[in-house]
Amino acid sequence: MNATDGKRTLVLIRHSPYGSSLARASVDVALATAAFEQPVNLLFVGDGVLQLLSGQDCEALGVKNLGRLLSSLPLYDIDHVYVDAEAAARYQLDLDAAPVAALPLDPGAMAELVSTHDHLLGF
Amino acid sequence: MTLHTLNASPASAAFADCLRLLTAGDALLLMGDGVYAALAGCSHRAELDTSGAMLYVLRDDAAAAGVLDRVDGVTVVDIDGFVTLSEQYARQLAWF
Repeated sequence: MNATDGKRTLVLIRHSPYGSSLARASVDVALATAAFEQPVNLLFVGDGVLQLLSGQDCEALGVKNLGRLLSSLPLYDIDHVYVDAEAAARYQLDLDAAPVAALPLDPGAMAELVSTHDHLLGF
Repeated sequence: MTLHTLNASPASAAFADCLRLLTAGDALLLMGDGVYAALAGCSHRAELDTSGAMLYVLRDDAAAAGVLDRVDGVTVVDIDGFVTLSEQYARQLAWF
């Protein structure tokens, strides 16, 4: 199956990067979906926007750096990354410095984005 | 349109995030701790009503929580009703 046959999947990421294993799982699902050449897009919502903070350093924590993992998304042909504009503003996120380029959306645009995908995976 | 399922307390981030993505034409099925959001007269319920989404609550969970007779305006469904909803909507999104 090539990419044009695949149903469109949207991965919604709602959890902060190191508070649970959900954040890592959501990125892994996105990468696995892309590896099978299925079209997949990402939407960071609520606390999920915290994954886009620049300067994550988990060396002392001994876990994988999720920010660095996100910066590899374009290599997997995951080109469309969206972010909850309200949550990004609430946390004063500098999107220009984020590990991956993300397009900010207001709630109406996020709802519209959801409605244009065939499969929704929420984490 | 989308069928949303909420299995988290109305005080949770899951509720707040779900609320912002709910639109008229969507459906929301409340289950687990999500059933408390169906309580008539409470502020969380008012927020859900404002979204314009169709509201459903899972009977067994609402009964266990003791809210079954306090969810006026929300449609009570059993598991078969859940299955029917999942057939009616093109996509489903779980909030937890």
